[in-house]
Amino acid sequence: MFGAGAMTNSIPEIRGTDLMFVIGSNTTEAHPIIAMEMKRAKKNGAKLIVADPRRIWLADIADLYMQLKPGTDVALLSAMMHVIVTEGLHDREFVDKHTTGFEDLVASVSEATPEWAEGITEVPAEDIRTAARLYATTEKAGIYYTLGITEHSHGTDNVYGLANLVLMTGHLGKENCGMNPLRGQNNVQGANDAGASPIYYAGYQRVDDPVAQAKFEAAWGTELSPTPGMNLNVMMKHMGGLIRGLFIMGEDIVLSEPNTERVEAGMNGLDFVVVQDIFLNETTRFADVVFPAACFAEKDGVFTNSDRRVQRVRKAVDAPGQARPDWQILVQLAQAVGYPMPDYQHPSEVYAEMAQLSPKFSGISHERLEDNVSGLQWPCPDPEHPGTVTMHSDGPIIGKAPFQTIAYRPSEELPNSDFPLLLSTGRTLYHYNSGTQTRRASGAVAKQPENFIEISRRDARKRGLDDGQLVRVSSRRGTVIAAINISPRMKRGCVWMPLHFPEANTNRLTNDVGDPVTQTAEFKVCAVRVQALVQAAK
Amino acid sequence: MSDLTVPILTGPTLTLTLDGEQVHAQDGETLLDVCRRAGKDVPTLCAEDRVDPMGSCRMCLVEVEGQRRLQPSCAFKVQAGQVVQTDSDKVQRHRQLLLSMYLADHELDEDDLPRERGTGNLLRQHVLNHGTGPDLPPINAPREYRMENNPYIHFDPGACVLCNLCVRYCDEVEAVSAITLAGRGAKTTIATADQKGLLDTTCEMCGGCIAVCPTGAMTEKPSLASNFQEEKVVRSTCNFCGVGCQVNLHTQDNKIVRVTSPPPGETVNDGNLCVKGRFSMEFVQHQDRLTEPLIRGKDGGLHPTSWENALKVAAEGLMAVRQKHGTDSLGFISSSRCTGEENYLLQKLSRAAFGTNNCHQCAAT
Amino acid sequence: MQKHNANRPAVMDLLEHHGGLAPGVSAKVSEETGVPEADIYGVVSFYTLLAKPGVARVCQGISCAMAGCDALADALDARGEPYEKVSCLGYCDQAPVQIDRELELTKFGPVGSVTPDDPDLPINLAGHDDASYNALAAFEEMEPDAFLDQLQSSGLQGRGGAGFPAWIKWKAVRNEAAGIRYVVVNADEGEPGTFKDRETMLRRPHRLIEGLAIACRYVGATTAYIYLRGEFPAPRRALEVALAQARPHLTGLDIRLTMGHGAYICGEETALLEAIEGKRGMPRLKPPYPTQVGLFGEPTLINNVETLACVPEIVLRGGDWFKNLGKTEPGSKLYCISGHIQSPGVYELPLGATLNALVQAAGGYVGTPKAFSPGGASSGFLPMDYAETPLDFKGLAKVGSMLGSAGVVVLNDTVDMAQAVRWQQIFFEDESCGQCAPCRIGCRMQRQAIDAFIETGKVASLEHTEDLHWEMEEGSICGLGMVASLPLLTAQKHFPTEFEGS
Repeated sequence: MFGAGAMTNSIPEIRGTDLMFVIGSNTTEAHPIIAMEMKRAKKNGAKLIVADPRRIWLADIADLYMQLKPGTDVALLSAMMHVIVTEGLHDREFVDKHTTGFEDLVASVSEATPEWAEGITEVPAEDIRTAARLYATTEKAGIYYTLGITEHSHGTDNVYGLANLVLMTGHLGKENCGMNPLRGQNNVQGANDAGASPIYYAGYQRVDDPVAQAKFEAAWGTELSPTPGMNLNVMMKHMGGLIRGLFIMGEDIVLSEPNTERVEAGMNGLDFVVVQDIFLNETTRFADVVFPAACFAEKDGVFTNSDRRVQRVRKAVDAPGQARPDWQILVQLAQAVGYPMPDYQHPSEVYAEMAQLSPKFSGISHERLEDNVSGLQWPCPDPEHPGTVTMHSDGPIIGKAPFQTIAYRPSEELPNSDFPLLLSTGRTLYHYNSGTQTRRASGAVAKQPENFIEISRRDARKRGLDDGQLVRVSSRRGTVIAAINISPRMKRGCVWMPLHFPEANTNRLTNDVGDPVTQTAEFKVCAVRVQALVQAAK
Repeated sequence: MSDLTVPILTGPTLTLTLDGEQVHAQDGETLLDVCRRAGKDVPTLCAEDRVDPMGSCRMCLVEVEGQRRLQPSCAFKVQAGQVVQTDSDKVQRHRQLLLSMYLADHELDEDDLPRERGTGNLLRQHVLNHGTGPDLPPINAPREYRMENNPYIHFDPGACVLCNLCVRYCDEVEAVSAITLAGRGAKTTIATADQKGLLDTTCEMCGGCIAVCPTGAMTEKPSLASNFQEEKVVRSTCNFCGVGCQVNLHTQDNKIVRVTSPPPGETVNDGNLCVKGRFSMEFVQHQDRLTEPLIRGKDGGLHPTSWENALKVAAEGLMAVRQKHGTDSLGFISSSRCTGEENYLLQKLSRAAFGTNNCHQCAAT
Repeated sequence: MQKHNANRPAVMDLLEHHGGLAPGVSAKVSEETGVPEADIYGVVSFYTLLAKPGVARVCQGISCAMAGCDALADALDARGEPYEKVSCLGYCDQAPVQIDRELELTKFGPVGSVTPDDPDLPINLAGHDDASYNALAAFEEMEPDAFLDQLQSSGLQGRGGAGFPAWIKWKAVRNEAAGIRYVVVNADEGEPGTFKDRETMLRRPHRLIEGLAIACRYVGATTAYIYLRGEFPAPRRALEVALAQARPHLTGLDIRLTMGHGAYICGEETALLEAIEGKRGMPRLKPPYPTQVGLFGEPTLINNVETLACVPEIVLRGGDWFKNLGKTEPGSKLYCISGHIQSPGVYELPLGATLNALVQAAGGYVGTPKAFSPGGASSGFLPMDYAETPLDFKGLAKVGSMLGSAGVVVLNDTVDMAQAVRWQQIFFEDESCGQCAPCRIGCRMQRQAIDAFIETGKVASLEHTEDLHWEMEEGSICGLGMVASLPLLTAQKHFPTEFEGS
């Protein structure tokens, strides 16, 4: 955002903050350990502002809770900016020194009064004012968000809105502040860092940058394409058309991508599919070849967490049967198609190659990680560098950071009389994503054995639905069966479902429309209807 | 059972006398902080860096000049000019008598020592290090417990010293407050509301109660049969969400038998884990794991094959698509679940071996 | 962690309202207050009136035991009525006693006596309860420093048992940095043998309220709490009436009556604060002291009922007048006396009066006296050799006993000392809060030791009692553990022949 896509600050800094603005993150369930740090900050006297359509657990201990309508974040954030600039609460010095485009931004939010936003978000105008004032006037104030911000058709605008708040209040480059996306998976950050991206090589070097291209061509001893590739959401849409073969490592795309029916049709249109995984899953149903892989406990390597911390993964047990570590399989497959991939003896050699090609982490090596028990945080440009705890401490890395004007537009698919409820999706504490691992954990199974749909008492009563009753949930794209969970957390007109159950795959419902910039799909908003499977015995 | 960290001096200091020697301390520190820095063996049961001091176990009492009675070093604040003794006759007598009393209220093994459980019993260590006073008859205090309805957490009141760390951790750190001290006097115990099973409470099964328990009264149910002294420990990074918690994988006979956190203070998780990190590793040894390469047969089913053949079929299949539909008809989907090195190799495979930038992974948070 | 804006102090009243410990009650109160359910269960299981609600209670305290409380229990057994045996109900002068499920006295002996009306006594239990609030008016005419001088010269010591000079606490709270501060009245009278605060609240509630009002005005508190023992419904009614009458004199002052729920330990001042806050009554570590960090974390003055009741006359007649009422220490003192005595009751005598003088006021001994406790269970037992020893704070401490709350209990030669010890040790075992190991384990061990001695007659049963006492005194968090072995230890010391075994 300001020159790097990662948490600007570090997880251990949370405990020293004075204000936390948590939006679009059910932190206690998705990131329990970060939530513990937030609770610790709260115990030390920090204020907590929570914005979420679902009355999540953090809302119970929050000083201010804003229950906004799903998909209206831009309106909320615009109104907060409006309050800050009209009340003169912005950090003039920081704005002058480190940003561009402030005048345009001020103009763009001039109409975005809290009263206007109340009409859209259903959050009382006075609460929006309070939130804006608290955030702007607290020196150590951090923003924490996750997929509740990004998984929208306007996800980029949501992120811009948050970035604008950070910039106008100067909450950047200082301890206990910043803009902090909490990464959903163990190595999202590391996968991006390593170049699992259609536009970047490892270390965020663009494939269409001739200098980078030349560097990687020299290192890898082959010609490389300067044309950016397709991202995942685009690939999914072109399966059977432009895309005819897939190699899939460690991901159950049939379960995890939105609009399952369309994904399945696409998979059927492929000529050849290779899957590399630790279990059979929904995607292996379409595979021509399946490679058995080692899991994290059976191999060496590194994961990079949300706060850019590179940490070691170490082999503890042997992989079962003939299963092999993914890195070995990849080398062997490359060699099988005739590319002379080196015979790496250990992942440390792979890391060394990557680090040498990537200035952001060229100071990091497996060897150094042995001595740094808390890992190393990039940027870490040389072997003497201690790593970077707080980014942008000398001003934004990109120089002057631009404000981005944003304008509220409704989500792509809104409720109507056929599909009257607004569905959001997410993760629970006990399960993890496609459930491959946690559906095999006894505690998770005992606590949450089957898919469920959270619904407000009023909406349930209106439909004559009882707690625990099985219902048919349908969207324009598909239908799944789930158990009713009447929940005081839910706002009227809204429902919520988890994503962990292959036999009742919530993504049969979700919308694959993407954000125009990132193509990230709108998992968080689609329209559904809920009907009793069998009439409740009365 | 977690260790206490040694605090580091960062600001201006004051001076006090500890066991006859001049030592430095910082305003606001406790006597225990000073003792730990000076390497004094002051035993504790109820002290933990992540929760407020309670001073209830009374193990850490020291003699402070001018104070009529022994004082809990975990809570007693330093003052310039204090004269403190950690090993006087009085302190020793107290420690040994108190340990005798604890023994009378604790389940013992065949050597009349506190039984080893979980990852060790701190009370046993204190008894071995400091000795005991007279042999006291067991007190047979009846303590109820009925929180068993859950797959992960076992509580044995016979090994509980009522340090209240589990309750304080559950409230102050994890903030779910699923358990409490209940009852009064010698019958005091750890309980849930209405003595319900943990599954029916707010418990999130993070297992922090196990991690902070000094005596192993709280243990991992799945690890009850495992002897921690025979376990091999490998430090790694949790494979679930993006926090990057450090885990110690305890293994025995090529199986993960227990997961613990490294001690608080040095890692991003500060000694904490969640239900997934601590307990959801059953998948690693699960019978459904893929153990051999598979290829799709003419019958439409997947059939085992050799690695050599699987690699050959995969290579030929992908190259055939490339030849027929062009380089960019192939897509490579990587995984945020795999290591950095593997993601690097996958994009290298995509770009260098197959010539396409159609390479991505699922999560673009 | 509590919900934002949780209403913790309401927990106790709600638990009582919902009928105490029963499945689902904690959940209900959690919903109503925002306090975690488990936390509430911890509270409801701590207080006996909440943990075992709705039954009759038969007192087993030493005075009731000597007066034949077993007969009451037998009668209930015979009728098949459910009841609880409890360690003390605070009516030793009317022993043996029993209360019903509404906590009202249903069985009791002759009503206790008090010193006859004498206007020259500071409290004067038999006198007319003056509701003029003249002392408060006089205080408001005084300079605060002048008042403090009087309080200091009066030599008034805390009448709850510790004997700490009152003026030091008052001054400390007044001198704390600006902000909220509280005054709390410790009316949780529970020491076996003690019932003077009960009589003061019944007979002279305005004395207490006036003293409290003066304290609030002096330290700058606008809110005060009276924490009243739960088993005292009659004093509660008396206070409520008096508070209503006093209202015109208490402008700007919010005096709240908080009921206890059956826990002796809440008489310990910091446990009492925890109870008002809606928590388990477990004493806090000191330091910090309540004068600095007290109720809800604010500076708090905590005084006993009798202490505050002395203040109005000190204001009206001056510190020296009060001081000179004493014999060996300043002031007069409410002495309770029960057991083998002709007229059990509360007698206001010069501080430092001897046992013989007190017994004389109370009509003489019954039978041949053998032993006495000068200050409740916590003071242990003394032989009659000490009948001419002044009953004061310093002197009794010197002989290894204490004045405490001045709840004197006399035992005659029909009582077996081992049995007497056992009654007291049962009391302490029942009432230990269980927080710290020396007291939790020690109280149980001492009780088991005396049980074993009585059962087997073996001296070996008692071989560790002194070590245990040492550790409990040295290692416990609060005073309960420190004194809990005294009945056993003092009896062993002063009556060795009764512990020689068989």
